[in-house]
Amino acid sequence: MASSASTLVIGSSSGIGFSIAQRLRTRGDSIVELASTLDLTNAEAVGESLRSLVGSGTVDYVVLAAIDPSAFRSAPIVSLTESEWDQAAEYSMRSAFVALQQAHGVLADGGRVILILPTVAATGVAGLVPLCTAVETIRVMAKAVARRWGARSITVNTIEVELGAFMLGDNEVGDTEVPVVPVLGQPALPPASAVDDVIGLIDMLATPAAGAITGALLVADRGTVMQP
Amino acid sequence: MSGLPGLMEGRVVLVTGAAAGVGRGVAAAFGSAGAIVGIGVRRPEAAEESAAAVAAAGGTPVILRCDVTDAAQSADAIEQLVRDFGRLDAVVHNAVSGRSSEATDFENTTLDEWEDHASVTVRATWRLAVQAYPHLQKSQGAYLLMSSPAGIEGSERAPFYSAVKAAQRGFVRALAREWGPDHIRVNSVAPLAISPALENMKILEPERVKRIEGLVPLGRLGDPETDIGPPSVFLCSDEARYVTGQTLVVSGGRFTSL
Repeated sequence: MASSASTLVIGSSSGIGFSIAQRLRTRGDSIVELASTLDLTNAEAVGESLRSLVGSGTVDYVVLAAIDPSAFRSAPIVSLTESEWDQAAEYSMRSAFVALQQAHGVLADGGRVILILPTVAATGVAGLVPLCTAVETIRVMAKAVARRWGARSITVNTIEVELGAFMLGDNEVGDTEVPVVPVLGQPALPPASAVDDVIGLIDMLATPAAGAITGALLVADRGTVMQP
Repeated sequence: MSGLPGLMEGRVVLVTGAAAGVGRGVAAAFGSAGAIVGIGVRRPEAAEESAAAVAAAGGTPVILRCDVTDAAQSADAIEQLVRDFGRLDAVVHNAVSGRSSEATDFENTTLDEWEDHASVTVRATWRLAVQAYPHLQKSQGAYLLMSSPAGIEGSERAPFYSAVKAAQRGFVRALAREWGPDHIRVNSVAPLAISPALENMKILEPERVKRIEGLVPLGRLGDPETDIGPPSVFLCSDEARYVTGQTLVVSGGRFTSL
């Protein structure tokens, strides 16, 4: 990314969003982050926060990696109360809408929006119905806004990583319970840092050469799923 | 008469949003397959034509008050079918928000509009599943969601509609895995069909409808009963016993890369 450009990272309080923000900051990129205490479904608060961070300026890149942690708890849907379903599935959908809508207001023409999501929805995972539902919703919401914002030369793309990488970023597993996602075999490529993989793709999408890529899904799981 | 005669003989099916359009057509197709069809509607007085269509096709219609945003109503509708007919073999969730054909101004709208879509298409998808689960487990039945091609490719004009329809596809894939051990199958259909909104468009913007039809290799929009109904019945029947977690795009070839 151009060093003078600024990047808004939403969802930078934990997991891969935290690691991406940290990595970009370390290498000297100009980063704008929302407070971790901000309710991402509160459009007014998110909008006000962005205006105070950006002032009269704009941001060139938006990285959105925000899934509510309750979505990572494995449970059969019949065991969920309505409020548990709402928090695990619908809260993240509302967050994505508000984040995209409010980010649009501070995004420069020609800007790049990159959503980071876990790969779970491609195959579906028992016990993670709310998460799979939310991820597919957000992925297609991204496509819809890619169509809407194309006239301003804004691109909107999605990068998917393995669930563990999404939840942890650069962090060790520690006490975090990462649900098991059934996949056939091991990744085709040798293990490496998923954060490095994602940063590489973000940088690629930020180049002028990637200006024609929008509404796309890039799966950075080192060849684990290989979606049809 | 259309559909798959006898394929659902004696089976009990609930179709939500069955007062008109695709819901009515699918209900009628289940009727032609011999099913007892619960016609789930918000206003029972608006369901007479659907009931007549099911009966004319050879099925047994049962009009049920079933606003799917009301947990008690959907629970009662399911319980009434089980009480009166002893079983529930399939639930087809077709209902959508009354605003589903409206354009959404994504950049300026509020969460209230999102809620209109999500309450019907996302939350009710979950709630109907939970409410129907013990009965579908007993019958080793099927849960079918009427999704949309918009839920796969994203819609500039209808970003909320396309997003909530995508939600159903993610839901289907995951729940198919979760309910597989119970032998309950979970699928969706993504139809391109004549709807009340398109009927209006035919009058107000006939050229736009012609343009849409021109993109369909088979040269026309689908008929809810004869084009969308039979694949929906098939997916809920024993003939699809090894099909789960899938979205069947029924679009006359309009969408070939989804």
